[in-house]
Amino acid sequence: MKTTDALYVYGVVPKGTSPDIFANVGAEVELVEGGELAAIASRVPLAEFGEEALEANLKDPAWLEQKVNEHNAILAACVGVTTVLPFRFAAVYRDDDQVRRMLSERPELVDTLARLEGAVELGVKALLDPEALRARLAHARGLDPEVGSGRAYMMWKQLERELDEEVRSFAASCAEASHERLAAAAVDACVNPAQHPTVAGGEMLLNGAYLVRSDGDGEFRAALRQLQARYADDGVTYELTGPWPPYNFVGEEEAA
Amino acid sequence: MSSASPALQQQVTLIELVDRVLNKGVTLTGDITLSVAGVDLVYVGLRLLLASVSTLERLDGESP
Repeated sequence: MKTTDALYVYGVVPKGTSPDIFANVGAEVELVEGGELAAIASRVPLAEFGEEALEANLKDPAWLEQKVNEHNAILAACVGVTTVLPFRFAAVYRDDDQVRRMLSERPELVDTLARLEGAVELGVKALLDPEALRARLAHARGLDPEVGSGRAYMMWKQLERELDEEVRSFAASCAEASHERLAAAAVDACVNPAQHPTVAGGEMLLNGAYLVRSDGDGEFRAALRQLQARYADDGVTYELTGPWPPYNFVGEEEAA
Repeated sequence: MSSASPALQQQVTLIELVDRVLNKGVTLTGDITLSVAGVDLVYVGLRLLLASVSTLERLDGESP
């Protein structure tokens, strides 16, 4: 029976971490220790995670959504309790020995975990309501969008183009200023591609991830409140998510 | 934007999860999942989000 199982690894924590922190995640989790590290793992059936099965399952939205949620829930149980280094989805090993071998072959994991000690990730998205901004810019110029005559129409088209340009320019400078301000209040920072307006719920100016000390995020939150106050009238809203396990700061990719 | 429907709120969370769980984290392919290294998880994530959006649109269409 045992040979039909494999070990799914969610991430690593320091050796000696108590498995009790996973008591409420709703999945059987064990810690496989090797060197200074412990891998957070679950026994999974090969019928689900073996090569062929996995390739098929990845195409099943219901299965994938459930597993992605579970992966995050288990790592999230560590947030604020111990330092955790998240692995990407679906790192599956044959047995405990293979997991221990992986831990011993990747000494840089120890350094990365040390770098992330006591830190969590916060996500900030800045969304722009372009219509609100256009209305404000037009109002500032004393323009009335209701004008109807032919000549006024031509003038209006010209001004429309100027407003478009102003909105674009504002979007770029607001995104840069926002990220700069937040990064200054964080240990590390990175910018991810903006999400599509359909799913983002607006024009996304910034999709940032910030590494902050879990016991000292006051400065970061204050910086966010400042930005909110500064750009509210321009139609910008900020959305804070997390604390997350530090997915964006595992040292795989250098900041662009 | 604060009046986002519960379904939309859930949607945002799934994007956040996909962005992180499938696109980020230490890339270590287990000895079992070696062949999956050829599967682009970013693409897998996009497909999941598209499936989720189309479900959402269908639900929207059904609501009065």
